[in-house]
Amino acid sequence: MPIPLYGFLQGDVVGLLILADDRDTLEALARKLQAAASLRVASRDLVRVVYNDKTMDLTMTVAQAGLQALDRFDVLSG
Amino acid sequence: MLGREEWLPLARKLDWDYSYVREDEVFPEVISGRPWLPHSEWKDWEESFKTSYREYVDNQYEKDMAVQAVHDAVGRIENVQKLALPWLNSLKVHAAALPLAEFTGVIGNLRGARFGRDSAWRTMATFGALDEYRHTQIPLLLFHPLLRLDSQFDWAHKFYHTNNWFAVAARHFFDELTVGQNAIEFHIATNVVLETGFTNLQFVGLASLARESSDHMFERMVTSIQTDEARHAQIGHPVLATVMKHDPKYTQYLVDKWFWRNWRLFSILTGLSIDYLTAPEQRPYSFKEFMEEWIIDQFLRTLDEFGLEKPWYWDLLMDELDIYHHMIYASAYSYRATLWFNFVIPGPAERKWLRQKYPKYWDDMDAVWEQISERWRTVGPGAENELAVHGTAMPTFCDLCQLPLSAGTPRKNTARVLVHDGRKYIFCSEPCQWIFLHEPERYANHKDIVKRVLSGEAPAQLPNLLTEYFNLTPDTWGKDAHNGNYEWLGAGKDLAA
Repeated sequence: MPIPLYGFLQGDVVGLLILADDRDTLEALARKLQAAASLRVASRDLVRVVYNDKTMDLTMTVAQAGLQALDRFDVLSG
Repeated sequence: MLGREEWLPLARKLDWDYSYVREDEVFPEVISGRPWLPHSEWKDWEESFKTSYREYVDNQYEKDMAVQAVHDAVGRIENVQKLALPWLNSLKVHAAALPLAEFTGVIGNLRGARFGRDSAWRTMATFGALDEYRHTQIPLLLFHPLLRLDSQFDWAHKFYHTNNWFAVAARHFFDELTVGQNAIEFHIATNVVLETGFTNLQFVGLASLARESSDHMFERMVTSIQTDEARHAQIGHPVLATVMKHDPKYTQYLVDKWFWRNWRLFSILTGLSIDYLTAPEQRPYSFKEFMEEWIIDQFLRTLDEFGLEKPWYWDLLMDELDIYHHMIYASAYSYRATLWFNFVIPGPAERKWLRQKYPKYWDDMDAVWEQISERWRTVGPGAENELAVHGTAMPTFCDLCQLPLSAGTPRKNTARVLVHDGRKYIFCSEPCQWIFLHEPERYANHKDIVKRVLSGEAPAQLPNLLTEYFNLTPDTWGKDAHNGNYEWLGAGKDLAA
């Protein structure tokens, strides 16, 4: 079941709606956001995912991280 | 027969005591506004113009003739064809956003003309309604015939009747400001905040840009409109003074709320025109410089005059002067097919100018424009490549202002999620959330474009969203005005450094 999330990539000028799969890792989620924003922001290898003001373990899945529909996550440079 | 000086005060200041109904039935709080006060508190309401209907008609006739004369001399299609391409697209923005917004002003003024609390206020609001009707008709008359030149001018009539995302945001603003507003809040929000403050952006700033751009028709039109605004804006000041006397906290809230809401809309309407859709050599000032001189200083004087404080978000607003409209423009460029006008990429000379005017955050914006430029270099110029240099994921919108979540800075977006009554909302900024939380019953049930897509009310696929929901067509949706064909793009990255 896709989960709609508000994604904010550092360096970008607008938040994007990202449809995540609850089995996606947070690293995969970050790559989805980078790809969606690639017109405006060059992708970087090292990233951090921040959710509820905490830097998350990139190997966790979206479900394990507790991300729910219409939550905000941020992808910051590593 | 009475002379003017005997007759006019009698006619425009004619109040009486009611014997068959109560005053609060004639002027219910729900539609006259709060605080509800007996007429004795309003009886000294006064404004300085004291115009009679005959004088009003004579004056307006002269002004209309002057506009018509300029139109006949320099407002023909062949004159418009000579305008610079970016400016022509600025005209399309205003052709769509202005006329029917002014028409909602007719409704707001008519509410004041019936439910204003003093007869002189009601008289003046009647003229205000006639003014706003004029401000609807003139731009429609001037802009819509340009449809023969460019089909995007069709949006002069069409814009507010669509569910285009910007129309949704503009309707959300004007429905609250004018269409569904009580008389007191309407006159404070419209006359004091919008007309005394922000319309200077349109009527002084844009008139000046129009002159620099050799668009004498637009210059004449907005200058003529401004003479009406200067008159009927006077309604709001005595309303504000009376409300301030009885409920200063509520007055401060109204001013804070409406200054923020106006800032959000006008920074887009005017900011993009000044800093992007005017040729660099025709820009006498930056949007920030104009805001500081014509809006901020004047607003602070108004606050001082009425004993009001600066809005609590003042530091944030000052910071946004450097960045908000830049983030919006870059977002809109990358989703330009969702709008009805065309865009240009700022070239090396413009980016140099923007860096000088906006040093605080320009490095971050420059990186965005360089990345977009690189995409055009990769795919090559041409109309067929437009959608290859376009966003694909859905952009997101604020649940209060309905504008893109493009606030804060590229390094740190200020969007914030709120759970209210079991439902999740997102706001672009703290002031938008603050306004929502003051009046959740007013805003909570409105769906932004994302929620409409997620609920199935609007199509999820971009082409369907554009054509079926935003009422655009491949001919009318926004494009790069040059289809990516910029001489400097071929010259490589170094020029933009």
